[in-house]
Amino acid sequence: MTARPAMTAAAADNRGSRFSASHMSAVAVIVVMAAWPGAIASSESFLLYVGTLVVLYSVGAMSLHLVFRMGQVSFAHAAFLGIGGYTSALLLTGSGLSWPLAFCASGLVSGLFGLLLGPIVLRLRGVYFVLFTFILCEFAERVFTDWGSLTNGAGGVAGIPAPPAFSSPVSFYYLCLGVAVLCALICRGVLKSDVGEAIDAIRTSESLAESNGVPVFRIKVAIFAISCLLVGFQGALQASFVHYISPASYTFDESLRFVVMNVIGGMNSLWGPVLGSVFIIALPELLRNWVEYQWVLYGVVLVLAMRYLPGGLYELGERASALLRKGGA
Amino acid sequence: MLSLPVLAQVVVNGVNLGAIYILMALGFTMIFGIMRIVNFAHGAFAMLGGFALYFLLMDAHVPFLLALPLGALLVGAGSLLAERFVLRHLYHNELQGMIATLGLSMVMIYLAAIVFGVSQRSVPAVYSEIFFFGPLVVPMDRLVVLGIAAVTLLLFFLFMRYTKPGLAMRVAAQDLEVAEAQGINAAAHYQAAFFIASSLAALAGGLIGQLYALSPFMGATPLMKSFIVVILGGLGSIPGAALGGLLLGMAESSLTTFFGASTAQLASFGIVMLVLVLRPQGLFGHAERDS
Repeated sequence: MTARPAMTAAAADNRGSRFSASHMSAVAVIVVMAAWPGAIASSESFLLYVGTLVVLYSVGAMSLHLVFRMGQVSFAHAAFLGIGGYTSALLLTGSGLSWPLAFCASGLVSGLFGLLLGPIVLRLRGVYFVLFTFILCEFAERVFTDWGSLTNGAGGVAGIPAPPAFSSPVSFYYLCLGVAVLCALICRGVLKSDVGEAIDAIRTSESLAESNGVPVFRIKVAIFAISCLLVGFQGALQASFVHYISPASYTFDESLRFVVMNVIGGMNSLWGPVLGSVFIIALPELLRNWVEYQWVLYGVVLVLAMRYLPGGLYELGERASALLRKGGA
Repeated sequence: MLSLPVLAQVVVNGVNLGAIYILMALGFTMIFGIMRIVNFAHGAFAMLGGFALYFLLMDAHVPFLLALPLGALLVGAGSLLAERFVLRHLYHNELQGMIATLGLSMVMIYLAAIVFGVSQRSVPAVYSEIFFFGPLVVPMDRLVVLGIAAVTLLLFFLFMRYTKPGLAMRVAAQDLEVAEAQGINAAAHYQAAFFIASSLAALAGGLIGQLYALSPFMGATPLMKSFIVVILGGLGSIPGAALGGLLLGMAESSLTTFFGASTAQLASFGIVMLVLVLRPQGLFGHAERDS
């Protein structure tokens, strides 16, 4: 299964000016996100809660974007989210390790699993990769449930502390935002580097890249491991945010959410997963007045988006800005 | 523990499970083979089949042996709406098609939850007799399931093997361009294939609803099993689905009997992973082409 690069004509035309525009929008987004708690402080903690979730999920969604860029769709991200979550939760509640160390460990363990499983998983391509990662996700959930002596089974782990220096909701939000910005910089760094070009070559044609001397398999495994490492960090943050995890926190629905964020947001730019996480986290909240129909409408939106907006929200933005420029000229 | 009656029981249960898995997986693999769509809504059609059977039995008082195929065909007919409004625009577009069917399945499941409620129900047992063949215990309803599945599968294979539409579908699954060059009307066969696939899933859903329980969320497990079966058998391969289904049914039945349900689950995942690693194209499938 290949994620098709559907670059619009407008995007291709404006290649030269895009970098500065992209920088500007990045700064704008960070400013808005940084001002978020201030803007809503007077009103509700609920909006802060939603904001924190958006920032958290953008970490995992951006990390999955790296895998998407290789032309692979992984449904196993919930498993690695869970490995990260359980690592930090068990270290924090069990051994009383300090928070920063547990945080680092969660990413490393999750990344290590990615490094070990990657060579097996990445031998598969297309739909087999999709189905296998789906099974991997179910398998992980079973292990979280059945390995009771370690994970406390279906009962889950409760009382996971937040980092002492970031125990207020607002400061925790900023911690998450910091991690998300760092994650964005890492992903961007990877994509802009030689490795990033190799990734695009791999997506276009694996055999062509191989014959041009690109170490395809090694790059794929490395990117997969980096992606798992990053989502592991989200797992640790999320566990400390909710203070409780259980196998039910890491079901297929979570994997699906990451994938949908990328597809709805757009797969040709790192902006895609960011837009996608805002949309996917905010959408159910916006539909809260129709609680009964919330998930039905969510499904309808997915179907409509696939039919009318295959390039995702990012493409919509590009089309809009192209229209604006045309109007201005 | 390892005595002849136990073994025979394992075989009976395994064949039973296998029959249901085959019914599910055939449609799934067919839709993928012909339209290149991973149909995540396949489990939701099975769920609708379960409810169709329930209402035909309970409210319309249709006799069981008529209600089962009737319910399946009704769901199949309804599935054509989904084909018309959702899938038709996304054929051969693997990623978008997959996400759209995920959306479709959400719509179906949560609408069902609103309409039918989320509490579990069960289709009342129509046959309560139990047969004893020597030391072997076989409940009548399992025999009925087996009989229905066998008849359906036989009809299906005869259709695919000996009729013109069946041949056309197999050609379209193998090579679409060649099929169209031969004057095969692909769109019509897509509809027919989708109708058959959804009806088979609905039939399986009815049987599951009868043997186990009925709820809006009941489609998830059979969907998962179809994934495993088609991985074992090779995506798009119809004989592969049949063999894979039987294999998974037997494996689950024997592992559950000897090691318990939770070990059986883990082991069957493990087996699938092993198969994928050793033979990425499935036991009977062809390798995925580099696109």
